[in-house]
Amino acid sequence: MAELVDYIEAYNMLKKYRIRSVESRYVNSADEAKEFSKGDAIVLKVLSQKALHKSRSGLVMLDLKDGSIESAFKELKRKAEAMQLRPYHIIAQKMVGNGIEIIVGGNTDQQFGKLVLIGLGGIYVETFKDFALRVCPITRYDAQSMLEQLKSGRVIAPDEKSKGMLVDLLMRVSKMFVENDITELDLNPVILHDGTYDAVDLRLMR
Amino acid sequence: MQAKNKNNENRKAGKYWNLEHIMHPKSVAIIGASNNPDKIGHVIMQNYIDSGYEGKLYPVNIKDSDKIMGFNAYKSVLEIKGSIDLAVIAIPAQAVPQVLEECGKAGVKGVVVVSGGFAEVGELELQNRCVEIATKYSMPMIGPNCLGVMDPRSRIDTLFLPTFKIDKPKIGGVSFASQSGAVGSSILDMIDNEGFGMARFISYGNAAMVDEVDILNYLANDKETKVIVFYIEGVKRGKEFVEIAKRASLKKPIVVIKGGVTEAGAAAAHSHTAALAGSYQAYEAVFRQYGFTIANDLKDLLNYAKIFETQPLTAGNRVAIITNGGGTGVLATDALYKNGLVMAELSEESKKELRKVMPPIVNIRLPLDMAGDADDKRFSAALSIIEKDPNIDAVMAIALFQTPGADSRVAATLIHYGTLMKKPLVVVSMGGSYTQAHKTMIESSGVPVYASPGEAAAALAALFAYSRYVQEKGGLLNNHEMGK
Repeated sequence: MAELVDYIEAYNMLKKYRIRSVESRYVNSADEAKEFSKGDAIVLKVLSQKALHKSRSGLVMLDLKDGSIESAFKELKRKAEAMQLRPYHIIAQKMVGNGIEIIVGGNTDQQFGKLVLIGLGGIYVETFKDFALRVCPITRYDAQSMLEQLKSGRVIAPDEKSKGMLVDLLMRVSKMFVENDITELDLNPVILHDGTYDAVDLRLMR
Repeated sequence: MQAKNKNNENRKAGKYWNLEHIMHPKSVAIIGASNNPDKIGHVIMQNYIDSGYEGKLYPVNIKDSDKIMGFNAYKSVLEIKGSIDLAVIAIPAQAVPQVLEECGKAGVKGVVVVSGGFAEVGELELQNRCVEIATKYSMPMIGPNCLGVMDPRSRIDTLFLPTFKIDKPKIGGVSFASQSGAVGSSILDMIDNEGFGMARFISYGNAAMVDEVDILNYLANDKETKVIVFYIEGVKRGKEFVEIAKRASLKKPIVVIKGGVTEAGAAAAHSHTAALAGSYQAYEAVFRQYGFTIANDLKDLLNYAKIFETQPLTAGNRVAIITNGGGTGVLATDALYKNGLVMAELSEESKKELRKVMPPIVNIRLPLDMAGDADDKRFSAALSIIEKDPNIDAVMAIALFQTPGADSRVAATLIHYGTLMKKPLVVVSMGGSYTQAHKTMIESSGVPVYASPGEAAAALAALFAYSRYVQEKGGLLNNHEMGK
């Protein structure tokens, strides 16, 4: 049975491969969350093996600052208890600028082994099913051809610089996937913003 | 899908069965040959006789008389004095293991087991016993439950399809491999109508021993095969398939069609990625990644195979359209862009030269509408100028044979340029019996003809995509034995 990798462990694994993901920390109290925020807007989420669809279940609260952090923390704790999600964590994340959401993922096929995926992400994943898939490890050519294959290719990578950034991201994800004991992974969404990207939700299975 | 069998345990990675003795046998034993025309062994024997096989033919039947269909008959392969390259086995399933054992002892170099009644009906044990025996004697076995092989050059034909029921293709460069016998035989019948020729045909059924990896490896290294066409339902050795695919597609184009597209994915997906990336998507990813051309139906398969067989590769996507029908030229232009190709632009020099040779009613631009009265001289003049124009990578020539100027001389002109020019040329021609006669003429001379601009553009796009793959992967386009 596949098991979800602890968020902070996944976060550290990405860091090791220099894959950008938004700064995150488990918080045990509203005070810890405020301290983490240092005045910036943050997101609070409940993480539990028992809740796979966080936003649909109202377990994600966005754009929290100062006073709103305290009430949001309490609210999430109350929901998690009411939904009997124990064991769970509440995680605090820095807010990321607005941008296009993509998905970068990995899956293990019983015939061909590990494959990486890139596609239009967030809420569009299931609707448009616009994605490209390749067998690991991928080459630079493979990564480039994945972007070309996407119908949304010109939207998510409109210029050479952003293309280069995503090619680099795909190759790092392929490397991490191959070198670690993971069977599935979702970086969804990865938000493309301000000339860079940040994975804001990580789901790694082993 | 194929049943799980012992195949993987019996073979180490990197070792592939050599099919040379099966495809080019100097001697063939047909086990189950019979004077009774109702028997499959009779049909196979008849096919060998009809196709003019020149090697030694040994009918084997445990029950039958001294002579079978005029040849000396044997009760067992062990009675045959000479060496046997290939044994074709068409007897009831239960008797196959013992006959394989005898083949092994007689030093047979390869077998095709046509008989059904194995894993496909749940008799996995029986099939595994066959694999064990064949492996013990290092004797590659195709099948069971297959049509077997056909090779018009060495004139072998293990197919139990009576000659009068199927148009068997002429000799050429397209090799076809199929798990399914039914898809295989339909393709075979259709190929002849498309006017291009075949190198090898392999229907490998249950793939108990020889599987897609062995076949792809064999065809990739086969000199006579210029294009590989593969109908695949499933691959058993995925990692090895990828290794072979990587090398094979740099040697020659591979057109693939996948059966079982709608097959349900893995039951439990924990992530979006797993939900999106099902089994079919994984196959498609592998095919794309290693430069295969994916066909969506059998018509596509043939359309792609025929351009790859005869036309040179080109890494450029600028296409010149010439036509003797204006409206068709417009449709063809749309078809180019829908397929990711672009309309070429004539060089200044080409414009000047065309102005000299075309009548005043002809506008000198692409698509070049040479008017309804265009004859062979006009086609020839246009093609000779296009041939030299560095701004043009490929040509689509639309020849409507219903027009007053178009006759067999136009067909001959298209054949001339389509076979000698260094740029790919495809012909679009649609119509009734007069058109059909010219289509056959042009195609059997090695120039692909398509029934619509859309099909022609899709074929050119496939050629372009493959050429680009080869170029990007560091291959040399002119390394390909592309017929020109």
